[in-house]
Amino acid sequence: MAEIDDPHEQTLLAPIAHTGAGFYWAVAGLSLLILWGVLAYSVQFSEGLGVTGLHQPVSWGFYVTNFVFFIGISHAGTLISAILRLSKAEWRRPITRMAEVITVMVLFIGAGQILIDLGRPDRLMNVIRYGRYQSPLLWDATSISAYMTASLTYLYLPMIPDIAILRDRLGKRKLLYSVLALGWTGTKHQQRILNRAIAIMAVLVIPIAISVHSVVSFVFSMTLQPMWHSTIFGPYFVVGAIFSGIAALIVAMILFRKAYGLQDYLKPIHFRYLGQLLLIMACLWFYFTFAEYLTGYYGAEPEEMKVFWAKLTGPFWPFFWGMALCNFIIPMLCLVSLSRHTIGKVLAASLSVVVGMWLERFIIVVPTLSFPRLPFAEGIYAPTWVEWGETAGSFGIFALFYLLFTKFFPIISIWEIREGREGVKEVEERLISYLPGEVEEKT
Amino acid sequence: MALWGMVIDLDRCTGCQACVMACKAENNVPAVGAKEAKKGRVISWMQVLTETDEEHHGEKTRFIPRPCLQCDDPPCTKVCPVYATYRNPDGIVAQIYARCIGCRFCMAACPYNAKYFNWHTYQKEQPGQNPDVSVRPKGVVEKCTFCHHRLQKARERALAEKRDFDPNDYVTACAQACPAQAIVFGDLSDPASAVSKLAASPRAFKLLEELGTKPKVIYLSEGEGRG
Amino acid sequence: MEQLTSPSDRLIRVLQWVWLAVAFLLVGGIIAWILHLIRTAWSLGDTPSASIGISIVAIPIFVVFMGVVFYVFWGVSGHGRER
Repeated sequence: MAEIDDPHEQTLLAPIAHTGAGFYWAVAGLSLLILWGVLAYSVQFSEGLGVTGLHQPVSWGFYVTNFVFFIGISHAGTLISAILRLSKAEWRRPITRMAEVITVMVLFIGAGQILIDLGRPDRLMNVIRYGRYQSPLLWDATSISAYMTASLTYLYLPMIPDIAILRDRLGKRKLLYSVLALGWTGTKHQQRILNRAIAIMAVLVIPIAISVHSVVSFVFSMTLQPMWHSTIFGPYFVVGAIFSGIAALIVAMILFRKAYGLQDYLKPIHFRYLGQLLLIMACLWFYFTFAEYLTGYYGAEPEEMKVFWAKLTGPFWPFFWGMALCNFIIPMLCLVSLSRHTIGKVLAASLSVVVGMWLERFIIVVPTLSFPRLPFAEGIYAPTWVEWGETAGSFGIFALFYLLFTKFFPIISIWEIREGREGVKEVEERLISYLPGEVEEKT
Repeated sequence: MALWGMVIDLDRCTGCQACVMACKAENNVPAVGAKEAKKGRVISWMQVLTETDEEHHGEKTRFIPRPCLQCDDPPCTKVCPVYATYRNPDGIVAQIYARCIGCRFCMAACPYNAKYFNWHTYQKEQPGQNPDVSVRPKGVVEKCTFCHHRLQKARERALAEKRDFDPNDYVTACAQACPAQAIVFGDLSDPASAVSKLAASPRAFKLLEELGTKPKVIYLSEGEGRG
Repeated sequence: MEQLTSPSDRLIRVLQWVWLAVAFLLVGGIIAWILHLIRTAWSLGDTPSASIGISIVAIPIFVVFMGVVFYVFWGVSGHGRER
């Protein structure tokens, strides 16, 4: 099977076989961002967290915001790809790999934010030696490590046939590909095993993904603090995570479509479907936000109201209304009609959602700390260059790792596209079988 | 087992800050300097909170000295990932500086803002410090411990003198220093103790009692000028 | 079909086993860690129920991961070579 020389597949193998100047420019640019981050962190490591804008009472700021944000983005991948795979959505084929890679990359970066946030990173081993499951941070550790393992497996398994193609077709890195391909030759037996394993992982990964962002929200909602202590936080965070995940996925897809000339694979129809998914998530996100804020407002507990007004009209108003604009109004305007300029509109909406969801995480973390229950220690938070650098570096590392991945493995699943092409007849039969009494007539 | 507690009579408090200074000297609490203080990084295990009376605006200021309230059901210890803060058998919420990883979850969880973080290395070991209290390195959380080292010393002295430990031998630095005797310290489990009697007063209240944290620092509200 | 008969065949085999061992070590390490946390909580009387409750969910999940990885490894590499 792997021997079939399909001219279509040359496009997908091209980025691995050849490397242009654009790649080196991108690496150089991202390295600058990362360098800024490394510099920021090394200063923080030697001087202490005092070089950041954190203080009493705002003891959590950018790092925790980034943690929630990146872990949220990680829901792009595995979750969406698992849902699309299980629901047999045929248009998923060129998308799943990109989504799964986002998950794996961003999970490591998200978990890393906690390490950056620690006052004593040298004592990280204490979490392993003395960890206690009463703390929601340990729930995070467990859940994220499960998600990491699951999404790594879920990324790797569907890659095995592609790695075999690389092993047979590509001249370089023969040893690496041979080892990772596990001797895949594409026999019926192998295919049956692989498909069964992928199905098991797809089922397993959905509850794990939901658990991850639920326990991330529990870090906040388990405390007694105003506007954190909320039962809605689990599903609210999960919805926001999927929302931001889809947006990040769309941005990545458009970038690689342009850079690697994948127009033939990622067509406007894919973006239209994803755009509609994004629109649904925007509505769902709005509903959760509305429910959360209305409950707080109507109950009008004085301590809740202090935080509430700080967000709406107080010092945090630009962030709150920026969030509302980016997460709801702009996506609505862009996505209601996608018949023309699909890709441009979807890109604008996605970029806006990525920014908006970061603001949402910020507006959840900081104002509650800024306005604590006892009104004596109020304080506003302003990040320094250290936090900006760390944030820029984190985005840089994410982009760089993603870029490097595309140089080692095909970013669009070759065998799944091929399977899709070969399975048109099967899909047609399946579609016909959905219809009442049509089976006999058509076949 | 004794249940150490504190009663602070707000009627007696003059806001003189003697408790704050005594605490700083006793517990090697660092002076962070003006620049850091401006950024909101003052470390003050005992802090006198000031509040302008709403009914007599600008005329009357209330003082509320606030140590760690040593909750019996502390929100901070629950969330600690490494057991660096916990409620010890004496009912005191302890901090293990050598174990703390500096995640600041306990600070985010404490509704009283009684926990403080060492954003920089604020001090090194030097002469003039209290040798009974360890100097905290950068990157860890610290807070009032009810001068726990004094309890240990009092117990050791009783042991050395071959007598039973007398709860009156143990008093915190802030209670000792208060010139108005607004702070009374003692054993809440002993109904005959001074703290227990004061805690039973109709003026007694606890900060944010409705949260169910069961603080062991009890305030006596101002008797006059509030009606 | 290219048969794995080149001199590096043995090396590839060994590396594949190393690859599997690393995966097992990782997952096994996590399970051992969870068990260690239960023991710590038990000895300190620090709500062991929370640890046990979480581990009842977490450990089987990690075991299933190991199972799936091993299933694929065994099925794909073993039978693929025989053919």
